[in-house]
Amino acid sequence: MGFFSTVIRIAEKDLKAEFRRAYEILSILIFVVSSILICSFAWGGALTTRPEVTAAALWIILFFASVLTFTTSFTREMDRGTFWGLKTLPCSPSAILLGKILYATVLLFLVESVLLLFSKVFLNLNVSGRPMELLLIFSLGMVDLAFAGSFVSGLVMFSEGKTLLLSLLLFPICMPVLIPSVSATEKIVKGLSTVNVMPELRILLAFLFCITAIVVLTFKFVIEA
Amino acid sequence: MTAVVEVVEVSKKYGYLWALKSLTVRIDKGELVAFLGPNGAGKTTLMRIVATQVRPSSGTVKIFGQDAFKHGEQIRKRIGFVTHESFLYDELTIEENLLFYARLFSVSHENSHDIVKFLDLKRWYKVPVKRLSYGLRKRADIVRALVHSPDLILLDELFAGLDEETCNLLVGYFKGQHARAVLVSSHSIEWAKKLCERGVFLNKGEIVQDTQF
Repeated sequence: MGFFSTVIRIAEKDLKAEFRRAYEILSILIFVVSSILICSFAWGGALTTRPEVTAAALWIILFFASVLTFTTSFTREMDRGTFWGLKTLPCSPSAILLGKILYATVLLFLVESVLLLFSKVFLNLNVSGRPMELLLIFSLGMVDLAFAGSFVSGLVMFSEGKTLLLSLLLFPICMPVLIPSVSATEKIVKGLSTVNVMPELRILLAFLFCITAIVVLTFKFVIEA
Repeated sequence: MTAVVEVVEVSKKYGYLWALKSLTVRIDKGELVAFLGPNGAGKTTLMRIVATQVRPSSGTVKIFGQDAFKHGEQIRKRIGFVTHESFLYDELTIEENLLFYARLFSVSHENSHDIVKFLDLKRWYKVPVKRLSYGLRKRADIVRALVHSPDLILLDELFAGLDEETCNLLVGYFKGQHARAVLVSSHSIEWAKKLCERGVFLNKGEIVQDTQF
């Protein structure tokens, strides 16, 4: 089986298993919705005049939701023993990791859709006629988070305090994603033009290239640890 | 006779603990071999090394004449591995699990219909694995390991937690696998003797006896 077919099969299997035990993805979505509702109750309509607060709130919610998502990645495979089953497969470690990244991306896409939809309704999220720019920033930030989170999930799966380590390591690793994402979101909500968010877009793309290189070069050793 | 497994001077250290010490063993095609010994003897570590899942600290491992860790991907296509932990996904049915593994081994899951019938799993085929009893789950995991018709079958603690009827069923099945090499690890000498022709006794990571039953 080819490399990309393997990646798709692994992601497909994970998604099928995830949606069969829907309570976990539902709990992540409930966390997102309740966070938005709490912000909405607390701040009322004032948010429309505070783009920096809106941007920060959206990315805090997305980051915590993504931490919950990554605990279902390699760490669960390890807890259930099925990770050793993946190691019996005649495929490269990169294909297994990319399968996990694809799975995390799909889940985060779902989380992000709910986040933006509810933010529009309850936080009066105003994108000043620039929805495509906002989607681009969120999509790129989400892919970056999926790469970093899946890699860290693989990195900590052999340790005893997996969940704690995942949260501890993910935050500093994701700082180069979170800072430009918040900044770009703030600029879009303020109504600034696309040219103004180019520096943040460049940082997000550079992070993606760097994390891809790290993942490809080192994951073989992680999985053999 | 062609050597399927050649383990030469293999040692494995976990922290300060030596799980295997300078162990050398050769398994030929068609052999049914049991690794026997008490808990902590090194049976599972040896099985995992042969399955290319764990790298030894020193020594060489050749499977089908190739270095096990340089050609891991090609070698794994010819190995079926069952452990005391199931590799099946709880939320998926037996059929979906077999389909997943079969696709990744580039074979049809229909190849396993005979063994599914033999192990009496047909009526559980579309049931999620989480609803199965331990014995049924183990049988399904054996089918999973055999879905790609491997030339080397590794069965770690095959008989643990199974009733006599299931053990007899499995002995009956694996006794007929003379075209392959079958390695079983167990601490039950009684069942190992029923299934295998050769017993390799391990203790504290070393071979203490290698005998024909």
